[in-house]
Amino acid sequence: MPEQATAESVERRVVLDLDRCIECKSCMASCYYGHGRMAGVQFVDIGPAVLPIVCRQCDDPACVEVCPAGAMQRDERGVVSRGIFSCRGCGSCARACPFGVLSLEMVGHQIAKCDLCEDRLQRGLDPRCVAVCPTGALRFATVQQIEAEGLTVIGGRVAGDHPIRRR
Amino acid sequence: MSSDGSTRTAEATSARCLLCSVGCPVRAIASGPDHYVPDYMPHAGYVGLCGRGGVLVELLDHPARLLQARRGGEAVETAEAAAQIAEALRRGSSSAIIVDGNTDTDTLATVGRFAADVGARWSLYVPPSDAGLVHGLDTSGCTFVGPEELAEADAFLIIGDIYATHPVAAHWIFEAKAKQSRMPLLLIADPATATAKFATGLYQPALVVGETARAVAAVRTGQAEGLADGGALAGWKEQLQKAKRPAIVVGAEMGYADARALAAEVAVLAKSIGATVCPLTAYGGAWGALRTASANGGICPIEILSSPVDVLLVIGADLVSALGAKAASNVAAANESLYVGPMPNRLSDLASLVVPAAFPFETAGRALLGPDRPVEFEPLMAPPAGVPTVREILQMAGAPGDVRADVSAPCSGPEMPAAADEAGQGEGIRLALAADSIHFDDGSLTGRASWPQSVRGRPLLLMAQPDAEAAGLGDAQTAVIEGPGGTATVEVVVSQERRAGQARASAAFAEVRNVFGWTWDGARPGEPVCVTVRKA
Repeated sequence: MPEQATAESVERRVVLDLDRCIECKSCMASCYYGHGRMAGVQFVDIGPAVLPIVCRQCDDPACVEVCPAGAMQRDERGVVSRGIFSCRGCGSCARACPFGVLSLEMVGHQIAKCDLCEDRLQRGLDPRCVAVCPTGALRFATVQQIEAEGLTVIGGRVAGDHPIRRR
Repeated sequence: MSSDGSTRTAEATSARCLLCSVGCPVRAIASGPDHYVPDYMPHAGYVGLCGRGGVLVELLDHPARLLQARRGGEAVETAEAAAQIAEALRRGSSSAIIVDGNTDTDTLATVGRFAADVGARWSLYVPPSDAGLVHGLDTSGCTFVGPEELAEADAFLIIGDIYATHPVAAHWIFEAKAKQSRMPLLLIADPATATAKFATGLYQPALVVGETARAVAAVRTGQAEGLADGGALAGWKEQLQKAKRPAIVVGAEMGYADARALAAEVAVLAKSIGATVCPLTAYGGAWGALRTASANGGICPIEILSSPVDVLLVIGADLVSALGAKAASNVAAANESLYVGPMPNRLSDLASLVVPAAFPFETAGRALLGPDRPVEFEPLMAPPAGVPTVREILQMAGAPGDVRADVSAPCSGPEMPAAADEAGQGEGIRLALAADSIHFDDGSLTGRASWPQSVRGRPLLLMAQPDAEAAGLGDAQTAVIEGPGGTATVEVVVSQERRAGQARASAAFAEVRNVFGWTWDGARPGEPVCVTVRKA
């Protein structure tokens, strides 16, 4: 059974276990259909593999800082979301994101943005991409939970502009 | 509130996805007036749902759906159209029915009864590799397991890129791996695939008819002479024998073109090393469909597809997309063609009478996901108002309404006979089909949905680096494949590990399948052929 999220669990992040991802893109499909046909999960081809990248919900998000319309907001629970009616689709956030998780490709003049499936969080459920992942490669967990299992969280500190290789 | 505005969870319904033989539970929830999205609630053994399963919900209210029976462009009542189907089939001197094999078994048995009543021959369309796998294994006496039982295995021989073709089956293999991190995972498939990333041993078969079967035989006998790179198979049998619960997972992949021989070799190997066998078909309902056809007078499809037919009823299948224009030329040449199905396709465009029907996932029914895996499923949603199920249409045409299929007996035929590999000889690159985790079978269903279109809107050509360099091609460039049946424009994906002289192209595109020029007296559907590739 997937881990059940709680109201205070937005400290959790969607984490990818590189040793389990089979590149099936189930996460992308679930995000696409769950968010009005805009997928917040993107895929990046790093040569040996094609891996999903999901918003890290940064503590100090560059996307919020650069958004000229104030559409990007980080709420009191730490969830960075994009206001549907404020977003002008200028692409500033996508260019500013150091992780490359925001696609410049726009749907309906809007940037697709992961909101951790807030509707599901409110019901105590994991985000769609995590719930749907057949291999358990995507987890909704805190860094502490992952490290307690002897796994290493990578990508915490970044330099350069490639979302995976720079790690 | 999520960006789609969905907060409602009422009116949830449950069903099974039959877009592969894992048969995942799938559920739709309302997300606005007359709008539904897939739900991902743990229920009924739910362990995930691949992108194909999510697509089903979009198809429910697809704008292209057939909603009105039409004869020659004129609207007719469904009951009247059904009566005309029966009349036309009775009138024909050589009438036949071909029905899509991903249909519930009771409906298929009803088709059998209806065919007998109107004096028509009938057959199924399932991918030839599915038919070969079922016919090669069903009477073998192997110990079969479903994918969920793979969690108990401690060594695997996997045949085919099953992480792409059956993504959710990977769940239980990862469970097994979690128990034993150094577990052997031996793979007979192409490199640069999702499954190959996790293999502890890999053998890449040449794209020659019978080569995969020979590789499995070489695992058993240790005799790998004649196989290119056969040395890679050394020690595989010992690794499997050393395990307490070895399992062989065999996927039906278009492109091996030797599924029946492969299945027979798998059975012999499994018995010799005490392994269980988990067969995975592309059509979720293939096993039950073939048993039902076998028990209800169904004949080999080649008998219908290779000789003239004057009245032909096709139910659900897009034979032109699946088999290519040449192999399906007989279908197009029928004096009178009738089509029953949920969506328009290349065949319905040719039909004189078109009758809308519910999708198989809009009906309750029974299926056999594998030899010992019967399931009963509910409709994902009710079909649109006024659109009947295939069974209801057959009843309107005079078929009995209480037919139940008996799928207890294994079947061994009829099946398309194996062909020699002569058609695959020649100059150029040997090309086979490649399945993926995004599209289902020939793509005629998933190609209509928006997510698969946005992710893979055009076909890929997976080719070896030396071949790409020779053609002056690089990664992501556009190329044209020229084959015996025509041309297709594709996007190139170059792999250093892929064997030179052979390539694969996305299976889910009709234009790619047409390139092969499959016929019934040459290279048969699914077989590799030689093609040339040039820069677009």
